[in-house]
Amino acid sequence: MEPQRLEEIIGRYPTPTGKILGILEHIQREMGYLPKDVLKLLAKRLELPLSELYSIATFYSFFTLEALGRHVVTVCMGTACHVKGAPELVASLKHHLGVEMDETTRDGKFLLTTDDGEYTLTSARCFGACSMAPVLRVDNKIFGYVTPERIPSILKQFGWEGNHH
Amino acid sequence: MIQVIIDGKTCAAEEGEILLAVARRNGIDIPSFCYEEALAPYGACRMCLVEVVKGGREGITTSCTLQVTEGLDVLTESPEIIRLRKALLELYLAQAPRSESIRALAARYGVTRTRFTKKTVRDDPLQNRCILCGLCVRVCRDVMGVGAINYIGRGQFTEINTPFFEENETCQGCGACAEVCPTGAIAIEDIAPNRIMKSWSGTKVPLKTCQSCGRYFAPSPFVDNTLEKLDTALKAALQDLCPDCKRKEMTRQAILLSTGTPLPMK
Ligand code: SF4
Ligand code: FES
Ligand code: FES
Repeated sequence: MEPQRLEEIIGRYPTPTGKILGILEHIQREMGYLPKDVLKLLAKRLELPLSELYSIATFYSFFTLEALGRHVVTVCMGTACHVKGAPELVASLKHHLGVEMDETTRDGKFLLTTDDGEYTLTSARCFGACSMAPVLRVDNKIFGYVTPERIPSILKQFGWEGNHH
Repeated sequence: MIQVIIDGKTCAAEEGEILLAVARRNGIDIPSFCYEEALAPYGACRMCLVEVVKGGREGITTSCTLQVTEGLDVLTESPEIIRLRKALLELYLAQAPRSESIRALAARYGVTRTRFTKKTVRDDPLQNRCILCGLCVRVCRDVMGVGAINYIGRGQFTEINTPFFEENETCQGCGACAEVCPTGAIAIEDIAPNRIMKSWSGTKVPLKTCQSCGRYFAPSPFVDNTLEKLDTALKAALQDLCPDCKRKEMTRQAILLSTGTPLPMK
């Protein structure tokens, strides 16, 4: 994001109240995530400690600090889904998307993006649809009673054409 | 001046004073983890709960946020308070299993074990001792005016560290965070020529050498920022001297001053 563009965004928020959240949300919408250098620039510009912005950015699940793929596949890892086979779904998704997961983030979550930037695989806690467990979401669409066998047909609805590697 | 009653003892106080402070001044020790006189009331740790018997809103409340009014009557160790405090200590034993100070306070209340699962994080920068009281965050931001650290994440994974878990360029290495931490969670080590903020992503801050004896004595940015706030004469007199040499220099000046000799700067 160009510093010029950041200035424009800041300029839209004349009042201090809700300013930070508003600006961060704006950046997130425009870029799909909150890039580190933009956060650093914003902190300087608003004369706020960077730690404050980072704290907000990691508190709200709406924000992400990493670039996401064009499609985001979120597997529910809540208790019900876990019991009903969410780990098998994750294994199958990893296989079909060709992403490796040897690293989890500090809070036990994972965020994996394919090399071509098309898909991001991530997890979340209970979607509130336990009766349909295991559940996953691709972008805004929820799928219930998912089995590993159904993964390819689900991915195909989002432009997937077989293994990427 | 008004009068308040704490555990049956009548204590004089200014209207609006914080009850916890009034109690301490009167020798009544209410345990606390997140209270610090120099900071705004926060009320996060719940250790300082008291029972308001009369005056104000009756019931259980935190004494570190309670402003006293005439006739306020509180109990700091009622059976209900003790029961709650014990439960809290059990939770804290699970949250910070490696903290000596938590264990000591818990033992004082007869709590030696916890029913909750102990939280142990491997290679925890805060040594499995942090209770997230926020004192370090607040002292760094509100007193030192720096804000090098803050809460990160939320829920059970909340932790305190520098943004992006990177070495922080704003940290002055003053160590105020470690000073106020109630659980001894923050590790700092001086390895010349740097001070290493081990808990804060290994942030390195250069140490200053004393102009007189050559010893490393304090982090440079901290000394420089503090000096900036002093007037020029004092600043010139104290610049870059370690506490020992500073004391000698001050004595030398005091002697010169008392003998009427004009003040030559060393
Ligand atoms: S490190 Fe210490 S001062 Fe900071 S939040 Fe944890 S317990 Fe409180
Ligand atoms: S556990 Fe997956 S929807 Fe509730
Ligand atoms: S000291 Fe009162 S809540 Fe922490």
